[in-house]
Amino acid sequence: MITIKDFLTADHGRCDEYFADMEAKATESLSNAKEACEAFINETEKHFQMEERVVFEEFETKTGMTQGPTAMMRHEHTQMRGLMAQMLEAIAADNKDKFFGTTETFMILQQQHNMKEEQMLYPMVQQHLEAESERIVEMIDSLVVE
Amino acid sequence: MELNGLSIDQAPPISAPVRFFITAPLFGIIAGLLIFFSDSATLMSRFSVESIVIAHAMTIGFLGFIMLGALTQMLPVLVGAKMPNVAVVSKYSFYLLSFGLLFMIVGLLNHNSLLISFAMFGLGSGFLLMIGSMGIALKGVSNFTPTVKAISTSLVFASIIVLMGLFLLYSYVVDDIGELHTIVANIHSVWAAFGFAGILIIGVAFQVLPMFYVAPKFKSFCKKRVVWLISIGLVMWLFFTLFQEEWTLFAKLWIATFFWAFATTVWLKLSRRRRPISDVTVWYWRSASIFLTLGAFLWIFDEYFKHEYIVMVAILIGGGFIMSIMVGMVYKVIPFLVWFHLNGMGYMSIPTMNEMTNKKLAYTQFATFIGALIGFVFAFYMPELLQISALSFTFSMILLEYNVIAPMLIYKKTLQTKPDFDMSAFASK
Repeated sequence: MITIKDFLTADHGRCDEYFADMEAKATESLSNAKEACEAFINETEKHFQMEERVVFEEFETKTGMTQGPTAMMRHEHTQMRGLMAQMLEAIAADNKDKFFGTTETFMILQQQHNMKEEQMLYPMVQQHLEAESERIVEMIDSLVVE
Repeated sequence: MELNGLSIDQAPPISAPVRFFITAPLFGIIAGLLIFFSDSATLMSRFSVESIVIAHAMTIGFLGFIMLGALTQMLPVLVGAKMPNVAVVSKYSFYLLSFGLLFMIVGLLNHNSLLISFAMFGLGSGFLLMIGSMGIALKGVSNFTPTVKAISTSLVFASIIVLMGLFLLYSYVVDDIGELHTIVANIHSVWAAFGFAGILIIGVAFQVLPMFYVAPKFKSFCKKRVVWLISIGLVMWLFFTLFQEEWTLFAKLWIATFFWAFATTVWLKLSRRRRPISDVTVWYWRSASIFLTLGAFLWIFDEYFKHEYIVMVAILIGGGFIMSIMVGMVYKVIPFLVWFHLNGMGYMSIPTMNEMTNKKLAYTQFATFIGALIGFVFAFYMPELLQISALSFTFSMILLEYNVIAPMLIYKKTLQTKPDFDMSAFASK
């Protein structure tokens, strides 16, 4: 059975693929990229909700740490949601400079965020939730985005 | 498990890395001007005082400063390890290193033993304070990834080259430049280029290339073994240099092969990256690959020519490979830090990363920098190229300084004007 850590790490890679698709379409023309941008945002939002609604909740309940690393990760999710909204605004305004400026900022923010999760938070989550790992992976795998 | 890196309150203040980044191009400018006023014949010898001064303005002042600045920022993110008292440590070591290096430049050029002694104190304490603090941060890490191993290994090499450097400076204080000085200088330079800078760059590349460019990941063999194999090569080279000189070529081949393989891998991974964007940082990674390949081969080739080309090797590897990567990194890191810190404080109406750097100036900076390096190489055959290349190099450093300062001015202005707290739009008309 795949662990929570491996599942979420692989999901980061999947989101990166959607991101790359979106940028490839946007290089041709921004109007062509709208669908790819929405697909990328949906997948990223799903990943955030896997963490916020399931994994972080379980971790916080188990450890009692609600103001620790998960609070920081939630804060960065909010920053990234803001940038994703700006990507859609840039597409609507057909402003390529603004779009690629936003994607570049998003990429670095997201990658340093992912790195912190993969290097530090996920191993800690796995350690604390080892016994419930299978149940949690099933929950996040079947999560429906709200 | 260390979780300090996950808290914005405990992330290093923006001043910790930025003061190193702002100062680095200034030492680049000093190096460029020193080359301009030097005689090409003097610079042909690696042991002339002018060559040593210029090399250290670049290696300590430019490369060292950028590496140290970047490490203060990267350790919490890459490793989850926070340097103890990072704000204080980085501030004091910055001043110690800056004054130490200035004393070294002026002291060596004027053969002033007192200034060289001050330089020894400043550089020795500055480096050891920084490296020691990083060592303490790394000691508590439990998740020992290939990048952490590479950073740790490079810091071991850094400690040794600093101690060797102090010995070399001491030889100038007591005016005893003998055979031992030459041997230590040789080890100092090779371990600094390949052991400290080279291994650090390889370790960071494992993370950065797949992450920022969505390039294919490095193979497990590469991530797990290459740093050790290079380290073994460097120790082997040291052993042969000291005791079995006729075998040094074998160790050099060993080291050069891994660096050439790294250069090729970087090139191929960038070609297969999923992100279509090509910015100046991609150009810098590409140029670094080319210069590293040329430098590695010339380092071998040089063995057959009584080390006549060793200064050219230094230009290709120190300037073309290491400097290219550092400049490229600055273009990514500075705008991100400004955005990240402002956004973390609640400012939303801030420019994107791309809007903080002048792209045209960045490409001009790249062209003048690469042009200068090519000019320096050909100045071996056409000495008249040296001065124009030095001017081109100095100009590239001025442009880089502009592109470092511009985002910081945005940062300062935002803090002063507080655009997100401006309620005038809602005022009754």
